Amino acid sequence: MKFLAPYAFWFALALPIVISFYLLKRKRVVTLVSSTLLWEKFLAETQANAPFQKLRRNWLLFLQLLLLALVVLGLARPYFAGAHKPHWLQVVLLDGSASMQSTDESPSRFEKAQREALQLVDALRDEDEMLVVFTAAATEVKQSPTGNKALLRRAIQQCAATDTPGRLKDALKLAETITRDRSDSEIHLFSDGAFGDVQEFANKGLNLKFHRVGQRGNNVAIVGLDIRENPEQRQQRAIYASVANFSSNSVQAELQLRFDTSVVEARAVTLAPGQSVPQIFVASQTRDGVFTVSIAAKDDLAVDNEASVVSLLPEPVRVLLVTRNNRFLEKALRAIPNVVLSQAEEWRAGSAEFDVVVLDNVTPPAWPAASVLAFHVAATNLFASTSRLEFPAIVDWKNTHPLLRYVSFDNVQIAESLRVTTPPWAQPVVEAQQTALVLAGELARRKVVWVGFDVLQSTWPLRVSFPIFIANAIEWLNPSIERASALTIRGGEPFHLAVTEPVTRAKIVEPDGTRRSLNLEAGVRELVVGGTTRHGTYHLLAGTNDVTFCVNLLDALESNTRPVDEIVLGKYSRVKAAALRPASMEMWRWIVAIALAVLLFEWWFYHRRTA
Amino acid sequence: MSALLSSDLLRRLEQLQLLAARRAKSTVRGERQSRARGQSVEFADYRNYVAGDDFRYLDWNLFGRLDRLFLKLYEEERELPVRIFLDASESMTFGTPPKFDVARQLAAAVGYVALCGFDRVSMTAFPDVTARAAAAGTEASTRAALRQVRGRASSVRFLRDLEQLTAGGAADFNQTLRRSASEARHVGIAVVISDFLDPAGYDAGLKALVSRGFAVSVIQVLAPEEVDPSTFGDLRLIDSETGAEQEVTFGKFRLKAYRRTVQRFCDELRAFCRNRGISFSRIVSNTPVEQFLLKELRASRIWG
Repeated sequence: MKFLAPYAFWFALALPIVISFYLLKRKRVVTLVSSTLLWEKFLAETQANAPFQKLRRNWLLFLQLLLLALVVLGLARPYFAGAHKPHWLQVVLLDGSASMQSTDESPSRFEKAQREALQLVDALRDEDEMLVVFTAAATEVKQSPTGNKALLRRAIQQCAATDTPGRLKDALKLAETITRDRSDSEIHLFSDGAFGDVQEFANKGLNLKFHRVGQRGNNVAIVGLDIRENPEQRQQRAIYASVANFSSNSVQAELQLRFDTSVVEARAVTLAPGQSVPQIFVASQTRDGVFTVSIAAKDDLAVDNEASVVSLLPEPVRVLLVTRNNRFLEKALRAIPNVVLSQAEEWRAGSAEFDVVVLDNVTPPAWPAASVLAFHVAATNLFASTSRLEFPAIVDWKNTHPLLRYVSFDNVQIAESLRVTTPPWAQPVVEAQQTALVLAGELARRKVVWVGFDVLQSTWPLRVSFPIFIANAIEWLNPSIERASALTIRGGEPFHLAVTEPVTRAKIVEPDGTRRSLNLEAGVRELVVGGTTRHGTYHLLAGTNDVTFCVNLLDALESNTRPVDEIVLGKYSRVKAAALRPASMEMWRWIVAIALAVLLFEWWFYHRRTA
Repeated sequence: MSALLSSDLLRRLEQLQLLAARRAKSTVRGERQSRARGQSVEFADYRNYVAGDDFRYLDWNLFGRLDRLFLKLYEEERELPVRIFLDASESMTFGTPPKFDVARQLAAAVGYVALCGFDRVSMTAFPDVTARAAAAGTEASTRAALRQVRGRASSVRFLRDLEQLTAGGAADFNQTLRRSASEARHVGIAVVISDFLDPAGYDAGLKALVSRGFAVSVIQVLAPEEVDPSTFGDLRLIDSETGAEQEVTFGKFRLKAYRRTVQRFCDELRAFCRNRGISFSRIVSNTPVEQFLLKELRASRIWG
């Protein structure tokens, strides 16, 4: 048995005080009696002429000494040392990601992790310090290093699991920074191991203790959701959902598609263990709304059983082609469905009604406010310097970029091109040896695709890749598609909304109906909404805007709730889960309980004596 | 007839007589048997005639038979002095009813019985009244009147004087009894009524009376509070007579032990009395006096 607060034994100095109470005489009620002769005979022992009397065997004294000794012992906080070696600084990393809401532990993994962390707090010695870090989508220091157990307890108890994917990397980085120069530190991670790659901590020498929570991985989840136009029938919408079964048993469940609150379709799916099944729904849509896919399955994690996506009615793209009779370009643009094409020979400022402006070999006097697809334009606000380059050979193109989907430059020759240094706002998509030929990027809130050569000075218009590139570029530049995709975000990510008029007041209605106001600075043109830790449909009310956006988990890593036995930190470094890790068992509560019983007994005994 | 004793009780007491184990030694004629020869109807003895004897007491029949002169002797009947020692100290005023009330009733009964038997009653209330300045006047004369009472006719005055007695001050039990024993010219019956709660004890006084030749009877009067205390807690007890302080922590659970102490104290007194031929009775002041007078005192052979 050891003591967490051995200094409390100084309180034992109170023991002689109790004894001195018994040495001192009591204050007594004065009573006149006929004669004290009988009392003298009977109670000669209580006669006291000196201030101190002889200490007699008095049960009350023994009881009080016992009581005080118990209290002192309790204050000294004895404990039976567990396997845990005390360190001076302990960092508690509490994983609050979505998978920690699994109910395979009672009542949930997160609450079990909290309980274990609280035990660690209880076992903290007076001179030790502890730091509480809560990690979910964002990492938050809930309590700076302190030995104050009340603060630590409150910090741990105030944490709540979120519907967001885990970002353990940030938390480990933080913990690593704090403990870097301290050999007397220990990092305690309370998690189920559902987080991304932490390979970069391979050689950091982290003194990491992994407290695993979770027992099994019984979970069915929607891990992907997207909405597109139905390619076969343009008036309809196709909803692509990916349903995965992470449990070890085959699962039959009902998959349901809702539009706002009305059920559109329900179907039964059978999922083999570990299987992921794509499901495609087709639904017609007459107004903007929210499609929700939910799976009715009895599993441990409810967060990922539902996912929503905002679907806006498709709007025609208004495109202005500024060209001097480039027929190839005009044909390619007209071939794109849902495009309203206007044509002009000169660009005049103030035409704000277009979504995309295509500039072909024309340098505008003012840059358009819309998205721009520019061919052979050397504007000074785009590049620091330009020069000419003859017969550039295409050496590389990024076919992973959405612009180059199904696009190949295998057989394209270019007679002449502009030679530029790649500016910081753009990334090269197609490159020659000396310069980038196609750049894509975002400049002053508008998307820009820049092609450095005149297509008529190349063989590209004769290739099939040209119209595909034009179609890809219009889709990529279309601000409404971007707007629609921005309306569905992952848990924990901020939601951005660009506003045309500055707003002074904004409100968020959360999925459970609670409202909160946003703090806005004056003249702000873009609203950023944080705190999206709950999945579901949010409403943002800002000025005249009423925007609906959805927050989903959609994270296969997080939905795979099978707890891991070890954390792999690189090839040679692993941290095993300390499944059973007895913390020091404190006994002061029991001692205080016994002291209380002694106190009650003493009270009873005293009254029996004097009543 | 009296506030102390009801007339009915007095009438019943008239039938009683103090029992004296010894013959009366008084010089005054009375109604008690004595060793002295004198005038009565009870024949006692003969003796030879000596010149100067009264011819009236010669036994002429014997002279006729034996031709010698004998004188017939008769028993002299003498009075029996009855001394009552009444404890009138401060401690006797305690109790409900006060011990002193009961003690006076007992003294009145004993005195009345004695007076009815034509005995001389001498009553000594102690402590001396001179110790109490406040009540010195009438109290002193009352006590002087009680010092010597004789004859049945005096009983009314005796009872009235007794009623007026008050208690107070600290008594010296032993000294009072010793002095009375040494001062007494004629020994007789001594009845001591007290609580016997004198810090100096009672041995010396009672021994003095016994050794002087008194037939001593002891009646101990205790208050119910002394036998069965009802005050509990941390107490500082102050002796009403001596002013001595006694600190006591007393609870109900120690009551039994206290009662044992009281019982032991009384037993000691009883044993002391028995060893010296003193009759002993004890009364708690809340018990009916009549019962005690007619039953217990008769049983303890004070009267019959």
